[in-house]
Amino acid sequence: MNRTDERTAQCEVRLPDLGEVNKVTIVAWLKKEGEMLAAGEDLLEVETEKTTFVIDAPKAGKLLRIAKQEGERVRLDDLLAEIG
Amino acid sequence: MTISWRKSDEEKIAAVHLPLGHAGYSATCRLQERLHTLRCRGEICDTVLSVEHEPSFTIGRSGSTADIIVPQDLLQHAGITVHKVDRGGEITYHGPGQLVIYPIVDLRDHGRDLKRYISNLEQGVINLLDRFAISADRRPGFPGVWVDSRKIAAIGVYIKHWVTRHGLALNINVDKTHFAMINPCGLDVETVSLEDLADRCPSMGEIAAALLAELGSLFHWRISTGNPAEHWDDKAV
Repeated sequence: MNRTDERTAQCEVRLPDLGEVNKVTIVAWLKKEGEMLAAGEDLLEVETEKTTFVIDAPKAGKLLRIAKQEGERVRLDDLLAEIG
Repeated sequence: MTISWRKSDEEKIAAVHLPLGHAGYSATCRLQERLHTLRCRGEICDTVLSVEHEPSFTIGRSGSTADIIVPQDLLQHAGITVHKVDRGGEITYHGPGQLVIYPIVDLRDHGRDLKRYISNLEQGVINLLDRFAISADRRPGFPGVWVDSRKIAAIGVYIKHWVTRHGLALNINVDKTHFAMINPCGLDVETVSLEDLADRCPSMGEIAAALLAELGSLFHWRISTGNPAEHWDDKAV
């Protein structure tokens, strides 16, 4: 679900397929914009169905942009962040 | 060719049940974290803890201390500890007379479907209660297991790298005065215990074994019983 542009090495973090869930909410960003990330490092937590689901950084790099804020509802494939 | 809906033992997924007996909440959280790391690395198979805790309120990611509706000194008097935890959901109660199940499960082996995972936990409890002629069900939008409008089992889960922690809590014969100190799950709901509904109240061990069997059937597990002593670093609260 995460897309990497080979030319710029930028990577989009999108909400993965969690199954037939609805009402997925961002509960916490674990990194701030501008912070450096290691591949696989915890990036944010979403919650649905009484479940906290941790989304990690798909690649190493800088967290360029947070696209959705804590408390916002998100859907499958929504853009959450950009890493470059 | 014989077609069977049952999976053969070879097709089933290995799982270990660790019956912890009575154990402190914090120590059990640390044990879950260690097992979660090992499961993520593929060093252990799916592992299911069963445990009975000391009186504790746990507050999930969406919860708040505002859902404790009695003064702090009353909690101390009742010997109830409060823990902020990383599972989903709001506040809930754990204590004597409640069977808590913590599956450390790699959902990559179970279809990567969070909804199906929760549904299987609920169904395991529903099937167990059916053994005691108790008709229980789900309530759309409110994960957990319900008998009419009363909640008998709560669910709260944490998933990282598709491996689960935390799980479900089934009321067998809990102290309702403790539940009355909170708004469980942030709602003004009534809770109920198996003892209130069944003709006989079986032992905690009997119920744990039956629930593990039901979950084993749903998750296609080939379950063996492990020795918890091999996994504890410490059992202190």
